[in-house]
Amino acid sequence: MAFKKDTIVGTMIFTVTLCLLCSFMITGTAELLKERKLVKKRDELQRYVLMAADVDMSGDKDFREIFKTSVIPMLVELDTGVVSTEGNVMDFDDRMAAINPETSIKPKKDTARIKSRANQVRVFKVLDDKGELASLVVPVYGKGLWSMLYGFVAVKPDMNTIENLVIYEHGETPGIGDFLNDPEWTDKFRDKQIFDEKGKVAIKVVKGGAKEGDIHGIDAVSGATMTGRGLQRSIQFWFGNEGYQTFFNKLKASEV
Amino acid sequence: MSTHTASTRDILTSPIFANNPVAMQVLGVCSALAVSNSMKTALVMTLAVTFVLVFSNLIISSIRRLIPNSVRIIAQMTVIASLVIIVDMVLQDVAYELSRQLSVFVGLIITNCIIMGRAEAFAMKNPPHLAVVDALGNAMGYGVILLGVAFVRELLGSGNLFGYEILPTVENGGWYLANEMFKLPPSAFFLIGLMIWSINVIQRKRG
Repeated sequence: MAFKKDTIVGTMIFTVTLCLLCSFMITGTAELLKERKLVKKRDELQRYVLMAADVDMSGDKDFREIFKTSVIPMLVELDTGVVSTEGNVMDFDDRMAAINPETSIKPKKDTARIKSRANQVRVFKVLDDKGELASLVVPVYGKGLWSMLYGFVAVKPDMNTIENLVIYEHGETPGIGDFLNDPEWTDKFRDKQIFDEKGKVAIKVVKGGAKEGDIHGIDAVSGATMTGRGLQRSIQFWFGNEGYQTFFNKLKASEV
Repeated sequence: MSTHTASTRDILTSPIFANNPVAMQVLGVCSALAVSNSMKTALVMTLAVTFVLVFSNLIISSIRRLIPNSVRIIAQMTVIASLVIIVDMVLQDVAYELSRQLSVFVGLIITNCIIMGRAEAFAMKNPPHLAVVDALGNAMGYGVILLGVAFVRELLGSGNLFGYEILPTVENGGWYLANEMFKLPPSAFFLIGLMIWSINVIQRKRG
């Protein structure tokens, strides 16, 4: 039987076959690139963690080497503060864990506007040359004006002072939201204290500029009120009692 | 046989100047304006367009007798879109930074009229080997304009070519005061306009 292309059946058969072939073409390519993508993702993660922790990467030592020797990735159960380094922590899919209802909860006070929070979060202990804790790098994310802001906060061993902050992904207004990636602005977080004397998260982005000597305030950027507020609320959420508070208290009790 | 070879060569060479898709048919100008501020992005864009154009022409030409008339545009779009997605994925893998610079314009190859135009006007009516030759010719035509514009824009706009310093700029302690206008898309308008004009003049003299 000859293929009659201009009949309805012929058209249907042709379209379906073409679409199937095209989809195979795409999934085939995606499959081929998958492994390389995973490696790249891991590299990226390592680099951002080291960047947040202020580890010097300018030397000729490969950053993967540095990461291997001085960083301990681990998973933390946020509600209990229990830590585990078992299994493949580096390939832990944090985004998936945050949306899968089995591994996440709905936060009671969702200041970061993330809708659901993973039970387990991957954090990184960064050690100095002597093998002592130099800083703890924890992920922070939350909604800005348009998009989720993803970043890492490195906290000094007193579990209060910020070492550095790195925002590695956001989709805020181009041009206006770019300050998130600008070290000139993120450097303002250095040496600020997250908690006040009562143990409440006190860090805030101050419109009109933080006062001289304000240990909790960071200058806001004009024209980007919502982005700044989003970042502030995300940090408040993640260092609050539905974030790392339990874990931090446990760390302080056991180590200090 | 001799007429056949002559026509093959014609198919290849005529789109480069005489029937250039950007200059003569004014197709694909949008991307030519956007990505021609540096040689690197222009070259990558040209390669991406070449890949999509060659394979879309090849695939569409080889199935041209099977494509039902009523859905032929959609069928062409499906093939082109799949190829563009593949290019996008590969580009993100091998040259992530560049793919970020090209941003939406890789995706917009789908709507580049050159590809659609060649598929509809040529691949649908000709055998695969001629379609590939035609694709190569048109891709070269696109590339000539893109690289030509990018050459002028990068050289005058930032004093570099492929990122290497050719004219030392005042900023870097040299003598050349970079012309910022060439960094902006409108400058490509003028350059493409000048190119269209000069190609026209040459054509008329010949004809």
